[in-house]
Amino acid sequence: MAFDFKFPDVGEGIHEGELVEWLVKEGDVVKADQAIANVETDKAVVEIPCPKAGTVLKLHAKVGDTIKVGEVLVTIGSAGEKYAGPAAAPAVTPPAAQAKAPTATVSKAQPTAPSSMARGGTPAVPGAPKVAAYSADASAAAFEPMQVPSQVLAMPHTRQLARELGVDIKRVPGTGPAGRITDEDVKRFAGGGGSVSPQAGAAAAGGMALPAFEKASWLATGEEERVALKGLRKKIAENMSRSNWMVPTAVQFDEVDVSELVEAREKEKARAERQGVKLTYLAFIAKAVAHALKEFPYVNASLDEGKQEIVLKKYYNVGIAVDTPDGLMVPVVKDADQKSILEIAKEISEKAALARERKIALGDLRGGTFTITNIGSVGGIGGIAVVNYPEVAILALGTIRKLPRVVEDRILLRHVMNVSLSFDHRVVDGALAARFVNEVKKHLEDPYAMLLEVI
Amino acid sequence: MVMGELAEQFDVAVLGAGPGGYVAAIRAAQLGKHVVVIDPAGIQGLGGVCLHAGCIPSKAIIYASTVASTLENAMALGFDVGKGCGKGAVDLKKLQEWKNNVVRKLDTGIAGLFTQLGVETITGKAFFQSSNRVGIEGEKASIHAVEFKKCIIATGGSPISLPGLAFDGSTVLSSAEALDLDFAPEEFVVVGGGYIGVELGTAFQRFGSRVTLIEFGERILPGLDPDLVAVVEQRIRAAGVKIVTKAKATGVEKKGKKLVVQVETANGKLEVSADKVLVAVGRKTDARALKLENTRVQLDEKGLIKVDAQGRTTDSSIFAVGDITPGPALAHKAYRQGKVAAEALAGLKSAFDNRCVPLVVFSSPELAVAGLGEAEARQKGRSVVVGKFPYSASGRALSVNRSEGFVKVVGDAKTHELLGVSIVGVQASNLISEASLAIECGALLEDVAHTIHPHPTLSEMIAEACEDALGECTHLPFKKGGKK
Ligand SMILES: Cc1cc2nc3c(=O)[nH]c(=O)nc-3n(C[C@H](O)[C@H](O)[C@H](O)COP(=O)(O)OP(=O)(O)OC[C@H]3O[C@@H](n4cnc5c(N)ncnc54)[C@H](O)[C@@H]3O)c2cc1C
Repeated sequence: MAFDFKFPDVGEGIHEGELVEWLVKEGDVVKADQAIANVETDKAVVEIPCPKAGTVLKLHAKVGDTIKVGEVLVTIGSAGEKYAGPAAAPAVTPPAAQAKAPTATVSKAQPTAPSSMARGGTPAVPGAPKVAAYSADASAAAFEPMQVPSQVLAMPHTRQLARELGVDIKRVPGTGPAGRITDEDVKRFAGGGGSVSPQAGAAAAGGMALPAFEKASWLATGEEERVALKGLRKKIAENMSRSNWMVPTAVQFDEVDVSELVEAREKEKARAERQGVKLTYLAFIAKAVAHALKEFPYVNASLDEGKQEIVLKKYYNVGIAVDTPDGLMVPVVKDADQKSILEIAKEISEKAALARERKIALGDLRGGTFTITNIGSVGGIGGIAVVNYPEVAILALGTIRKLPRVVEDRILLRHVMNVSLSFDHRVVDGALAARFVNEVKKHLEDPYAMLLEVI
Repeated sequence: MVMGELAEQFDVAVLGAGPGGYVAAIRAAQLGKHVVVIDPAGIQGLGGVCLHAGCIPSKAIIYASTVASTLENAMALGFDVGKGCGKGAVDLKKLQEWKNNVVRKLDTGIAGLFTQLGVETITGKAFFQSSNRVGIEGEKASIHAVEFKKCIIATGGSPISLPGLAFDGSTVLSSAEALDLDFAPEEFVVVGGGYIGVELGTAFQRFGSRVTLIEFGERILPGLDPDLVAVVEQRIRAAGVKIVTKAKATGVEKKGKKLVVQVETANGKLEVSADKVLVAVGRKTDARALKLENTRVQLDEKGLIKVDAQGRTTDSSIFAVGDITPGPALAHKAYRQGKVAAEALAGLKSAFDNRCVPLVVFSSPELAVAGLGEAEARQKGRSVVVGKFPYSASGRALSVNRSEGFVKVVGDAKTHELLGVSIVGVQASNLISEASLAIECGALLEDVAHTIHPHPTLSEMIAEACEDALGECTHLPFKKGGKK
C-alpha cells in the first residue's frame, strides 16, 4: 500500500524548509534511509532520508517550494503501483488543516444562539447564496479564520499584549482564576519559560516576534528586481530585527596593541602548519574572549524576560560570524575555554568551510554564548555589530594596521586593531563592558601566556 | 468603464458606509490614511442599513410605540391621559418626521467627522477590477475608478425575499419599507418571528394594527433560550398579537381591497387577511456582485467572505467587516471589526478576538444575551451552575411598575467562570453591557457578585443572580445546600 512520507521534524524548532533539490524522480526505486531531497531550512541545507524502501510514486513538491513539517513530500509504493491520489484521509491532511479542524468543530458545536438568531431567524433560507471558492490562494494554507466568539480566557489588554509580543495566546497556559491567562503568563511564555508546546517552542525560545510596522512603500522610478526573502536571508532578517527590537544596545570602543600577537603568530605559524592547522588571529581572540568571559559572568549570559531572571551560563561557547555566499552564519566553538588555541583554530576553519558549503550540522550553529565578528578581515577599521540575541554581547574586530603609537614616550610603529563590544545594556553596564574589553585586551597583549596555557 | 481609465489613488478604499465601513474609514483616517468611502447613497448613506433602515429607525419606532405602554402605565398609576393609547391615538406622519430627523441628525454627524478627517465619499456601487482597483457604477459617481493600497469591504446585506411573496414596495414590504410606513395598516401580517419581525410586529400592534406573526419554527425568536422567549411571547400575545408557529407563508393574493396570505401549517392550510405584509425572514449577502473573481478573496460555504481575526481576507490587500463576514450580523460587531481592520491595515496589532458579542432584542419586554445560554453551555460539555433573579424581587423593578422578567446567569460549576448572562425584562438592553464586560474580562461569578451595585437599580439583579448561582443570594429564599 502506498505510503505518504511527510516532511519530518528535522529538529530544533524548525518547521519549514525550501526544497532545493530532488535526489530522486518518480519511478525511482529507493532504499530505506536513502537521501531523497535536499531541503534548506533557515539554518542549513539538510538531506532528507526516506524512511521506507519502495518505488517513488509521486513527488509532492517542486524545487523552490516551501514545505512545512507534516506536509507530504513523496508517496512511496511498490513497483508497478500507480499513484492513486491522496491515501487515507488522516495521513495526508496537512497540519494547517488539522489545526483548523478543531476550530471548525468548535464554531459548529456552538452556533451561539445569538449568532444563529442574529443571522436571520428562519431556517432553510431560500435564495441564500451558495458556496463560491474563487481562485485558490497559496496563503490560504496559513489562513486562520476569525472565531466568533473567541474561546480565550484572558482580559482584552492581555490578548493585546500577546499580539504585541508575537505570542499565540491560545498556546499560553493560564495561571489565573479559572485558568485565566494573565499578563505574566504571556510574558513568561514570550521569554521562553513556562510549559511550551513543541511547536510554540520556536516562537517562544527566541523570545519576541517582530511588531508589525507598516510596510514601507516607495515609488519605483526605474527597473527593479524582486528577490524573495526566504531561507537564510529571511532568518537573518528576523534575527537582526528581533535583536534591534529587543535589545537596548550600547557600544564600547577600544584599540588593542597586537604587536606581540602578530609576532607570536608569525613564530608559531610554521609549527601549526606542520600539524595541518592554519593559525589565525581569530583563534587567539576567541581564546582571549573565553578567558575573559570566565572572569565576567554577566557577559556570558542571557536575560529570561518571561521569568525576569538573568541566566549566567557556566559554559563558554564562542560563535564566529562567517560570511557565506548565502549570507551570514555563526558556527559555534563549544567550550572554547577548554580548548587550545590550535584546536580552536582548527575547529574554526573546519566549521567555517562547512558553513560556506551549507553542510554544517544544525547543532554546530546553536548554543553560542558570545559572538565574535571579524569584519576587519574583509576591511574597515572597525564596526558596530548587532548583538546575537539572546546572547548579551558581541565583539567586532577591525583590520590590524601598522600605525605610529606612543610607547613609553617614544613614537614607535605598532600593530593595532580596533575592537568594539556591542552589549545588551539591560544586563551589562558600560563600566562592566569596559572592564571586559580590558580583560580581553590584557590577554591579547600577552599572547604567550595564552599559548602556554599559563592563565 | 475600461481598465485603462484614469483612477484616483487612495491609501484606503472602503466599500459601503454602514457601521463597519464608516467606523473603519474614520479610524483609518485618524491613523493618517487618505480614505475614500464608496456607497450607492453617498453622503446620504452614511450609517448604512443600521442608520437608515435598521437599528436606529427601528428603535425610534419601537421607542415611540413604547410610549403607548408608558401611557398605559401612566393610566395604571392614576394619570388622566385623555385619548390614551388606543387605535388612532398616534399620528404616524408626525412620528415619521421625527424619526427621519433623528436619522438625519446622526448621518450629518458622521458627515461632519468625515469632513474633519478628510475622508472622501463617492456615490455609486463599487466592484473589483483587480486586487488594487475598483470600478464604480452609478450616475452620481464623480469618478469611475479608484486605486487603493488597501480596501475594506463593508457592503452588508439585504432582506431575503420569499417565493410567492416577492417585495413589491406597496403591499409586500421589507423591513426598510415597513419602517417608513406613515400609517398603521389595519391588518398587518408579519412573516418571520425573528427579532426584526417581533420588534416591528409588536410596535405596529401598539400603533393600533392587528398583527399576525407567522413563524416557521416552533417558537418565535428561534435560537434563544425558551425560558426568556416565553416571557416575551406571553407579553406580546397579551398585547393582542396573534402568533402562528410551525407555519410557512407560501403566497399572497389580492382580494378586493384586502390581501390574503396563504399559510401552510401542520394542521393544514390557512388564509390570513391583511392590508400589508412584512417579510422579515433574515438577511442575505451578495458578495458575488462585487466581482470578487478579479481578486483572491474567497467565500465560505455560506457565501460570506472569509476573514481572519484582523479582518484580512485571503487577498492580502483586501479586508472585510460587518454582515458580509461570518458571525452574528449585528451593528456593534461590525463596529468593532471596522475599527480592528483599519488598525490592522495601518500596521497595528489589533484583532477581533472578542469573547462575547451581545445580542439585544428590542421586544417588549426587552431581551438581551451576553455569552452562552444555559443549553449551549451544557452542549459544550461544561458543567454549569445557574443563578436566577426575578424582576419581581427587585425593589427598583416594582417601583417602576414593571415586574415581568428575570436575569439568568450561567457559570462554570468548578471554576466559577461567568459563561453567560441572559436578561428578559425592562431595560435589558442597557443592563447587558455589565455582563459583556465581565465575560470579556474573564470574570468569575464572585467578581460580579462582590461588586457593589448602586441601590435601588435594576443592575443589582445581575449581582443577585450571580449570588444565587453561588448559593448565597440575600433576597431570595435560602436554598438547601446553599453556601452558609
Ligand atoms: C430592521 C433592522 C433592525 C436592526 N436592528 C439592529 C439592532 O438593533 N442592533 C444591531 O446591532 N443590529 C441591528 N440590525 C442589523 C444591522 O443593521 C447590521 O448588522 C449592520 O447594519 C451591518 O453593518 P455593515 O457595515 O455590515 O453593513 P450595512 O449597514 O448593511 O451597510 C452596507 C452599505 O454598503 C452599501 N453597498 C452595498 N453594495 C455596495 C457596493 N457594491 N459598493 C458600495 N457600497 C455598497 C449599502 O448600500 C449599504 O449602505 C438591524 C437590521 C435591520 C434590517
